[in-house]
Amino acid sequence: MVDIEELRKQHLETQFDQKEFVLSADNLIIAARASGETREEFLDPENENFQATPAFLCSLASGSTLPIDFPSLGGIPMDGGKAVEINAPVKPGIKLTGKTSLHEIYDKKGRSGRMIFIVVRMDLYNDDEELLATTDSRLVIREKPDS
Amino acid sequence: MSVKTISDVEFGEELPVFNPDTSLENTSAFAKAVGWGGPRFEDHDGARKEGFPGALVPGIMGMGFLVSAIHKWAPEGQIQNIDTVFRAPMLADTPAIINAVVTDIDEDDALVELDMTIKNEKDETRVFGTAKVKIPPS
Repeated sequence: MVDIEELRKQHLETQFDQKEFVLSADNLIIAARASGETREEFLDPENENFQATPAFLCSLASGSTLPIDFPSLGGIPMDGGKAVEINAPVKPGIKLTGKTSLHEIYDKKGRSGRMIFIVVRMDLYNDDEELLATTDSRLVIREKPDS
Repeated sequence: MSVKTISDVEFGEELPVFNPDTSLENTSAFAKAVGWGGPRFEDHDGARKEGFPGALVPGIMGMGFLVSAIHKWAPEGQIQNIDTVFRAPMLADTPAIINAVVTDIDEDDALVELDMTIKNEKDETRVFGTAKVKIPPS
């Protein structure tokens, strides 16, 4: 059984991935409209405050899901949820840099075994190193007993 | 009913119920726009071949529905953060009902906290979450 405290010591808050993104205005509009969005700042590229919806930011994924030296826990990671904190509008057509680290690791034990929860955090910056948004992806892994 | 300023918000107030468009055409358009295309999001038969009961609504689209519900209720509000838990998959072409309630009001900082759920017609929770929204001061 994997030692959660050891994993925390080894991996928390250490950046393991960096990836660049440029968002497409067309895709922002399609995703916003499909979500039922009605505000012009998410639908009209001519709006001076045109930006990505919070949900769209959560679609940005790092190049690797977990650090390369993270141990196998046996099960396939499931998407347990997403969170986003917005500091400034994220606009299309500019270079964005996502820096990814593990923010939290914890477990819950049940009758069917242990579930391990991993929060993968991506900080999204513009070219001026301004932190625009932070997204958290909550991975849930059902541990295999012999892992 | 929508709110314009923080003084319009009442503790325990329920946001207007929002029934999002979960048609496969709409959910697959979202999936493709965020780069998550593929059978599980675009085709019921393809999703069943992958072991799902039908084509899935992308989890983050659930967040998108919640955000839209907040924006309809508070047209001038700014979402500071939103946290969603994907409790069970949402299926395309299956109605979803969004409910939200005001659980805290911080008049000094003009911040409102919401608890939100997305349920199916069997009243089963598929997604739940919380959000903090900045509302214009009075």
